[in-house]
Amino acid sequence: MKHLLLLSFAIATLSPLSAAPQDDQYVLGPDSLPKDGVPHGKVLAMEPWHSKIFDGTVRDWWIYVPAQYDAGKPACVMVFQDGGKANEKDPKFGGPNNAVWVFDNLIHAGQMPVTIGIFISPGNFPPADAKEKPRSNRSFEYDTPDALYSRFLLEEILPEVGKTYKLSGDPEHRAICGASSGGICAFTVAWERPDAFRKVVSHIGSFTNIRGGYGYPAKIRQTKLENSQQTYNTPELKQALEQRRKIRVFLQDGKNDLDNQFGNWPLANQDMAAALKFAGWDYQFVLGEGTHNGKHGASLFPETMRWLWRDVK
Amino acid sequence: MKPLATLCSALFALVTHAQDTSLHEFLIDNEPWKEVVSGQTFTDGLCTDAAGNLWFTDVKAGKGVYRLDAAGGQISLVHDNLPGISGLQFGADGKLYATHNKEQRVISIDSDGKVDVLATGVKCNDLVVTKKGFVYFTETPTKRIHCITPDRQHRIADEGHVTKPNGISISTDEQTLAVSDYGGKNVWTWRIEADGSLTGAAPYMTMQTTAGNDGAAGDGMTTEEKGRWFVTTDLGVQIFDPAGRLSGIIAKPVAAGKVVSVEFAGKDHDQLFVAAGDKIFSRKLKVKGWFGR
Repeated sequence: MKHLLLLSFAIATLSPLSAAPQDDQYVLGPDSLPKDGVPHGKVLAMEPWHSKIFDGTVRDWWIYVPAQYDAGKPACVMVFQDGGKANEKDPKFGGPNNAVWVFDNLIHAGQMPVTIGIFISPGNFPPADAKEKPRSNRSFEYDTPDALYSRFLLEEILPEVGKTYKLSGDPEHRAICGASSGGICAFTVAWERPDAFRKVVSHIGSFTNIRGGYGYPAKIRQTKLENSQQTYNTPELKQALEQRRKIRVFLQDGKNDLDNQFGNWPLANQDMAAALKFAGWDYQFVLGEGTHNGKHGASLFPETMRWLWRDVK
Repeated sequence: MKPLATLCSALFALVTHAQDTSLHEFLIDNEPWKEVVSGQTFTDGLCTDAAGNLWFTDVKAGKGVYRLDAAGGQISLVHDNLPGISGLQFGADGKLYATHNKEQRVISIDSDGKVDVLATGVKCNDLVVTKKGFVYFTETPTKRIHCITPDRQHRIADEGHVTKPNGISISTDEQTLAVSDYGGKNVWTWRIEADGSLTGAAPYMTMQTTAGNDGAAGDGMTTEEKGRWFVTTDLGVQIFDPAGRLSGIIAKPVAAGKVVSVEFAGKDHDQLFVAAGDKIFSRKLKVKGWFGR
């Protein structure tokens, strides 16, 4: 199935971007690849998920459980958008950013906490007529700057994983990662629910006007303490402000990323970084040479994980 | 690297989509709006047929159903004594289906003008007919979307999701129904089940609004052959790609006026027509309408 899927993508897109030399300079290091003597966690394909919040959608998802997982101790959580499909029989399979191998290696080395990875694909509406193609709900779920996707994770997915595995409820132990629309989605989840997620990784994030997500820099600027009084003027909002300011954000983009009718990706990410700096958040921004491509973010991923999880042992 | 390839392929799928949606993909230089019908009161109900003729009504003062001939450009009153129709569409059976707003009924009209009443007591606004013969129509004041099955059972397919359900259209594969909200800012979608019922209601598209307005005045809709949705609104004709992302807005022919109905017609179904008050305008586009019926 997976090979078919890949093949169909390749045929459908045949993108010249796949050969962009700006991207090929970014290669995976040893921490992103299997290492001898490092125990490998379990990759578990989950039953396709029928969502209630995104009513009518079905999606593939899978989880990674590190070898060091101890049922007596709550594990940290990291959610990935565009999770793809699990195929643990494939010796090269490592998930987006080779996260599975990065987790194996860094957890083993004590450089990040014991973390369960949850890899989720966007929802599809399967057609009533099996001959037709499903309708993708990806843009609706990822690009919409509202609380719906965070509710989906907190009310559907985390409780489901929590039936089998003990997950930490501490927001400092919850991270979320995505690329492109999945990147803005990661930020949106933490922004809406900083009581539940406080660690964000966005690669080539779409902080552009696909569905209004270009508004974040201005909103982030209003979280600077000196500028926050007008916006955060009730006890509930003041609490939200305090929690938002504790979100840790990693942003990556490339100078040759998209420039289209929705916006300019490199400018939008620089605008995000400037706003985070202005507001005094804990953030890191890496601007490389790449295009709309995941290679740079993937090559940085082990270092990103060390930085993101540095306060959690 | 396979994992990277998986991620990248997902992204590239997005990229090719995204770059496919600029307004420049639709408009042609030196092909502005042209007035093709004038002297009406309130044009509406635009629909087309295989030959590309444009069928329309004048809801407020018209006598019935009019046709703008695709070849000669002349206008004729085809079905007389049917004033107050707000929505039209041909079914696969060759009949013309209509929301007869003034009479609060949904009807079909055969080529001889014989009227068959499909539903009564409904404040129907606009409709769409599937190849299988399901009729879906909006009832704006009751927040309802109705369905009439091929065996003429009348059901309420959705109620309460859309503030003021108005325009209605269907995806090219007929698996998704879309309804514009006159009172809100979303175009809603549903999955169409095999029995015609609607599931998975979602505010899938977000329309742009004029400054200070919560509602976009989403009105008439039509579907382009690659599955893009065209919706008339306060701001103009808003175009959404199949992923529900706004691709662009075509300005109204009369800036201060309204557009309430939209359809591709003309010999090649590449002329976009809009009902704009007392007039109908058209312009040639680079894309074609989906005339799958």
